[in-house]
Amino acid sequence: MIRIGWLVLAAAIAGLLPGVADAQLLNARRLGMGGVATSDNGAARSANIAFRAVPKGEGYGSIPLPLGLIQFAGDTPEFDPDDPDFNIFEILDLVSNPPLTLSLSKPREVSGDISIFVGRDSLLVDLNDVRRTIPKESMVNGGVYHLFGAGFGIKNFFVQAQPIVHVRNEFDLDPKLRGALRDAEPFVSNTRYGLTDDGVAQAALAFQVGLAFRAYYAPAPGSEDVSQGEEKGDGDGDPPDPRAKDPRRNGSTALYLGAAPKYLFGMAYGQVGGDGGVTTGDTLFGSSDPVAFDMVAVTRYAAVGEAGGMGHGYGADLGAVLFWNNFELGIGVNDAASEIHWDTTVRRHVYSDSLNEFVSTVQAVDEAFTSRIPATTTINVAKRMGPTTVAMDVVDNELYTGVHLGAETWLGMVALRAGAYSDSNGRWQVAGGTGIRFGGIGLDLAVASNRRNVEEASATELSASLTLY
Amino acid sequence: MRRWFVVLWMLPLLAAGCGDRSLILTVDVLSFLDPADVSQAYGPIPGGLSGVTVDVASEEVSLLQGIEDVTQVSSAKLAIGASFDNTTGTASASFRIYITPAESADVFSTVPIADVPVSLTPGAVTNVSTEVSSDALAQALVQDKAKIGVRITFDTTASGVTPVQGTETITLLRATVITKKDL
Repeated sequence: MIRIGWLVLAAAIAGLLPGVADAQLLNARRLGMGGVATSDNGAARSANIAFRAVPKGEGYGSIPLPLGLIQFAGDTPEFDPDDPDFNIFEILDLVSNPPLTLSLSKPREVSGDISIFVGRDSLLVDLNDVRRTIPKESMVNGGVYHLFGAGFGIKNFFVQAQPIVHVRNEFDLDPKLRGALRDAEPFVSNTRYGLTDDGVAQAALAFQVGLAFRAYYAPAPGSEDVSQGEEKGDGDGDPPDPRAKDPRRNGSTALYLGAAPKYLFGMAYGQVGGDGGVTTGDTLFGSSDPVAFDMVAVTRYAAVGEAGGMGHGYGADLGAVLFWNNFELGIGVNDAASEIHWDTTVRRHVYSDSLNEFVSTVQAVDEAFTSRIPATTTINVAKRMGPTTVAMDVVDNELYTGVHLGAETWLGMVALRAGAYSDSNGRWQVAGGTGIRFGGIGLDLAVASNRRNVEEASATELSASLTLY
Repeated sequence: MRRWFVVLWMLPLLAAGCGDRSLILTVDVLSFLDPADVSQAYGPIPGGLSGVTVDVASEEVSLLQGIEDVTQVSSAKLAIGASFDNTTGTASASFRIYITPAESADVFSTVPIADVPVSLTPGAVTNVSTEVSSDALAQALVQDKAKIGVRITFDTTASGVTPVQGTETITLLRATVITKKDL
């Protein structure tokens, strides 16, 4: 019976992790528009490589203002486990919500006593508040993370080296175990309580050479091509209108393309697939321990400096964006066809109930294996109508398909924004914001809901940033 | 390895019970007793004797493993209930509950967790109930195995020549141990 414990642990760990990570967005202008990606709101390089070639539009740079640090300084969670105020869930929430935005509302703190009832044929675990953190369904976590890289560009070309990390973990409880932990249903005899876990993690260094360029341009009917060359005034002393070169707003038809093949230097790969459980006997707590524990896990790995060594592979980022009559339609695919070839070691680990230990056997050495870095596709549309922008995007990746909707309108120096997005668990979140512009710089504020916490309960945050126009 | 599992078992519970929060372990001790021991007849015990013992139950049971490793006991108490349907004779009795770690050689050689006095009179049903606090109880129930014993000691000197007999029924043995984390 005691060995049900590892199941409880794994369940709790899964519960502690929020679902597929919804990244904290620090660009208040973009957050106020529901996080929608357009070619001119800070999504330029992450969503569509072709955005690099598009002339800078409204707001090309963002500087986050970490208001949350002030709140954090005034209300720092207790990190000392021996302190009565220590709460592990508060710490975990801090991990998924770095204190960079101002928290306006957050879920009730996970607290409360844990109760365990034990009888000869009874075991009931009431996790109290912690039940809120036990997942209702399988938990999938992870993502593809393009970390800070180094590079330079010359005209339409660029070269960069960038670390890439891909992590994916799917954890699931069988209904009986979920019921016992989440719903405090009693454990019963002659029943298996199981869980499965399937995880992969890989890291690579991408060496990338890219090209982003304008492939087609046709000025708006009745206007001349002012999209290239030096900006010129209208001859009466007024400065040139920067919008005259902006295909988003000048009514022109323009197509921009981008492609950046990459060589992937695989640094490490690890994969585990496990299935385990405990099966209760005729009596839960008798004079002996009638619980049978089973667990089988298969691991596959390779790493620089370890067996298998480095991996090698190729991939590419691709993008296109079309402007027509102030419409914008973009399609960006990051990590297209990205694969890494490894020489892997495969091991099988089986728990021996009689020996009370794992027995590992090598299944293969230097076995050729090709891993995939999953592609992320972003399709965005936007329409600019004078001071107003209406936009939408669909982001599809390995773990989920999300939709972002947003709008922005300028009333003189002041912008009003609103938006909504479906988060990684398919729940709609809302956002709104405002901004004020002083010449080449603006201050933006946004309020948005989210569920980035261990309970996946609704929370609200305020984000602030400066925008460079 | 087993200890590793044990710690894992407790971690999430402790995580939730961290800080000022507690892990409350309730053990239905009665459920571990053989049903035949829960209610059984005693006697006839001749009158005029003292120190007659009847061992009602003696069990070794498995409990949750590892709680001792990762928690500190704050308090422990045992709720006790029993009924004595005494048909003949008069006696004073001691209803004793023993709960010890499994490594104890003889559960009855230890100090009882509870010693409840009972007065038995002819043709009467005597119900007793009490609650005792005990550090020894806590130390036993946070082990992975424990021994449980129930003994009744009769003093029939007041019964004269009339033998004492009847039926005892244990109605409640429930332990509650409150622990805090200790990692």
